[in-house]
Amino acid sequence: MSAFEATSGATSPAAGLAPPEWGGFDPARTRGGPGDVMRAFKTSTVLGWQMEANWTDPILFFIYSVAKPVASALILVFMLEVIAGGSRPEYRAFVVVGSALWAFVLSGMSGLAWTVLDDRERYRMLKYVYVSPSDFLVVLLGRGVARVAVGGMGALITLLFGVLLLGVPFDFTTVNWPLFVVVMASGLVSIVAIGVMLAAVCLQTRQESWSYPEAVGGALFLVSGAVFPIVVLPQAVQAIGLLTPLSWWIEGIRQSLFPGGITSVGGDGSLFQSLTGQPVPAPAQIVVALLVTGTVATLASIAVFRTSDRRAKDRGLLDRTTGS
Amino acid sequence: MLRVPVSAESSGQRQSQPLAIDVRGIRRVYDTKPAPVVALQGVDLQVEPGEFFGLLGPNGAGKTTLIKILTTLLLPSEGTAKIFGFDVEHQTKQIRRIMNMVAGGEQSGYGILTVREQLWMFSQFYGLPSKDGWRRVDELIEAVGLDEQREQRVSTLSTGQRQKMNFARGLLNDPWIFFLDEPTLGLDVAAARAVRELVVAWKAAVPGRTILLTTHYMAEADELCERIAIVDHGRILALGTPDELKRRVQRESVFRLEVDRLDGGPGSLRGLPGVLSAAAAAAQDDGKERQTVEINLALRDDGVLGTVVGTLAERGSHILGLRKSEPSLEDVFVELVGRGFDEELDDDVPRDSIDHDDSDDGPAPDLTPDPRDTAHEPGEREEEEAVV
Amino acid sequence: MSNAFAYRPTASPQEAAAWSRRQILLTDLRTIAGRAYPRVRGMAREKSWVFFEILLPFLATSAFVFVYRALQAPPEYIGFVVLGGAMTAFWLNVIWMMAQQLWWEKSQGNLELYFAAPMNIMSVLFGMAFGGFIMASTRAAAVLVVATVIYGVTFAIDQWFLLLAVFFLTLAALYGLGMVLASLFLMWGREAWHLTQLLVEPVYFVSGLNFPVARLGMIGALAIATLPLAVGLDAMRQLAFADAAYPIGTPPPEIEALILVGMTIVFTLLARFTLKRLERRARQEGRLSVRWQ
Repeated sequence: MSAFEATSGATSPAAGLAPPEWGGFDPARTRGGPGDVMRAFKTSTVLGWQMEANWTDPILFFIYSVAKPVASALILVFMLEVIAGGSRPEYRAFVVVGSALWAFVLSGMSGLAWTVLDDRERYRMLKYVYVSPSDFLVVLLGRGVARVAVGGMGALITLLFGVLLLGVPFDFTTVNWPLFVVVMASGLVSIVAIGVMLAAVCLQTRQESWSYPEAVGGALFLVSGAVFPIVVLPQAVQAIGLLTPLSWWIEGIRQSLFPGGITSVGGDGSLFQSLTGQPVPAPAQIVVALLVTGTVATLASIAVFRTSDRRAKDRGLLDRTTGS
Repeated sequence: MLRVPVSAESSGQRQSQPLAIDVRGIRRVYDTKPAPVVALQGVDLQVEPGEFFGLLGPNGAGKTTLIKILTTLLLPSEGTAKIFGFDVEHQTKQIRRIMNMVAGGEQSGYGILTVREQLWMFSQFYGLPSKDGWRRVDELIEAVGLDEQREQRVSTLSTGQRQKMNFARGLLNDPWIFFLDEPTLGLDVAAARAVRELVVAWKAAVPGRTILLTTHYMAEADELCERIAIVDHGRILALGTPDELKRRVQRESVFRLEVDRLDGGPGSLRGLPGVLSAAAAAAQDDGKERQTVEINLALRDDGVLGTVVGTLAERGSHILGLRKSEPSLEDVFVELVGRGFDEELDDDVPRDSIDHDDSDDGPAPDLTPDPRDTAHEPGEREEEEAVV
Repeated sequence: MSNAFAYRPTASPQEAAAWSRRQILLTDLRTIAGRAYPRVRGMAREKSWVFFEILLPFLATSAFVFVYRALQAPPEYIGFVVLGGAMTAFWLNVIWMMAQQLWWEKSQGNLELYFAAPMNIMSVLFGMAFGGFIMASTRAAAVLVVATVIYGVTFAIDQWFLLLAVFFLTLAALYGLGMVLASLFLMWGREAWHLTQLLVEPVYFVSGLNFPVARLGMIGALAIATLPLAVGLDAMRQLAFADAAYPIGTPPPEIEALILVGMTIVFTLLARFTLKRLERRARQEGRLSVRWQ
């Protein structure tokens, strides 16, 4: 019996490795588990935040977090002003809330997609992350959380800007907090799911796909009721909106923060009304619809990601660079 | 060995042209945190037109910094540098028209293009007409041995293939001076050899072209370069031909001799004039019976060998084998610096916290190149055989 | 092998270094073609851009169309949105495929090779712009045509020549600005990435992408004076909807065309100046090679 075997208690040559406390191999480490997943998620979240917050000029970071979402809101506010003047303050609240929430959507989608492109093209780290024991999907989610947090800051600042400077009427005492919390949590999961799907696409495409998250965001902008009630769309397109978790998320946030305001999903003559007989969805209906569409989106995103992952490995796409 | 013939014609050309590289007092300081890094500390270097010159040194010696200055990508903090009389600071356009560069580990280019397309794109940057560009690209692809990969996307090339492509890129404009910054870095033995052979073949095919090679592979510098500068910590420690550099450290001539028999054993040779030591080779001490006698001989100089051979003949010994042991360039480096390429002395200051205030240093070691090591004066170079 | 290696051997390096003006000009033109080549081939080799760069932007433009429909805006406002949506293609091309491109090339390791080569770096940028222009034009044309047909936009164009001139002058000024931004981004490193983000919605807002920029008052005036997108859009709106019952832009398109000419000259000269100065600074600080800043 070798000294190692005597010390470690191993009885076969193959197991006669240095024991873990001597810096040797610990078979328990190969088994994975929730602890490993959480560790990977936490590490990648911290990494993502360090990368996002690594600005040489914090003022620039602040401007970026403020200027982009506020400008988006102002575009819509001015469109409203041009047509309606100051006569419809409830519409102003509608567009400000919608564009503020859209900052979340864009940052969530782009965060994950850009992580793939960043790591593959710029830092050339994608292959190293892949060969580590951590699940790449977990790492991706962690990295995306930082950008979602930045988007959240932008959303909050835009709402404050709207309330303080654009005359958006907001009454703190009328907020439906339970609805807000449930809808926000479920909605963020859906946003991240869409982001995962985009990241899966970017795993297959070339470097120029940096602009794809914005393109997808623009398309979803059309059907999700972010800046206009979807009742103005043809019914077939309204159906797409009703199947999108983002529509229910935005509706839920609006109803929780501004009860009694304009509905984005319903309205007289809407598809929702023709299906349910009600012009405005009730909170319970919003939550159920969000959970159902969100679950479908999440399951679909996992399936899409795994398929893309397999295809990328099959075609050797993980360590290529595709600049042009 | 892959040395290139040096002809009198190219030697004559050298006389009529300004120096290919003329570096005087170059100093380069990088303004980094926590402290500035002095990458080059007053470097002087002159390379003749048509020379194959090597910069040999460990990582962090300043080789790449110097090459970046010479290829107009970096400005010196002090000093001047000229390429064929053109100043690197103010005459960058002229220099860029007559030079090219290839670095080791280069991952540049566009993965979506094929090898042929990638090279054609660069040919346009050098002003080749489009048709000429395609034709030249095809010729160079064949010359570097990438025929089978010509329509393959760049992103699918192996490391060796990519480096061959980079080499072809470097030759597109038929440069008068070719900068090679560790061109065999990361390549396997076969690929590295292929690249070295390409370099030699190019130099032989277009006489008068100058090459500056930086490397930390001693054997590569020894094999390819006509003259070498050994660089460390931003200074040139020694300059000369490989043989001259080795002679700096070789105080004696060392031979390994094999004879059929030797009465009195190796020790009996010690008494001969000029023989510094004679001992059985290490393999002879293992107690096994052998038919021959192998001896390590250290002689005062090569001339003493005649005396030894004569003595052996008188004693009836027949010489079966004779081989001269030469010091390597690493021996030269160790002699100069006191450590190997891969070692750091215990009291070495980490590179990124070098205090470049010279007043704090003791007297600087005499590191000026020995004038006796200067390369052959123009016109004196003899015809040398290329040994392949 | 010697045939392959030798190419137009010259008697001396001095002769090889002495290029005529014709040779310099031809090299720059060939560089434009060479650098555009990967962009064009890339479009053909990976076709996902057809979906992401044409269909989806059309849907994004449609969103703003429906905002105006929800507000029951006059029909010409739908036209403003469609025109604005088409022109965003070029603005995005400028900021994504030009402004930060040198910084990208540095990350890829190509920047050193560009600066070590004898061509003018502006030619490289022109080539990138031209390559991206093809994709941007396709996107703009798709948005314009499809949206016009689907949403029933009616154009009233009296001065075709001036409209086309304003369009091309807008592009020229935009790409000139893109070259200025490329040189600035080269120095600002990682900030370039975030600055590109900053230049999307805020520029859309101050350029009056979906509404007459005059409604922004002083900000609008400032935008007209400095942003090619603002000036060009305003002029094109006035020319494309010449039968509007009320003024939809100011100043008149002829004046705005002259402003665009001035912008083109200023941005091109500024780009030349900044590229030279910043190249020198990058060489001084060793920034042509450092990948991550």
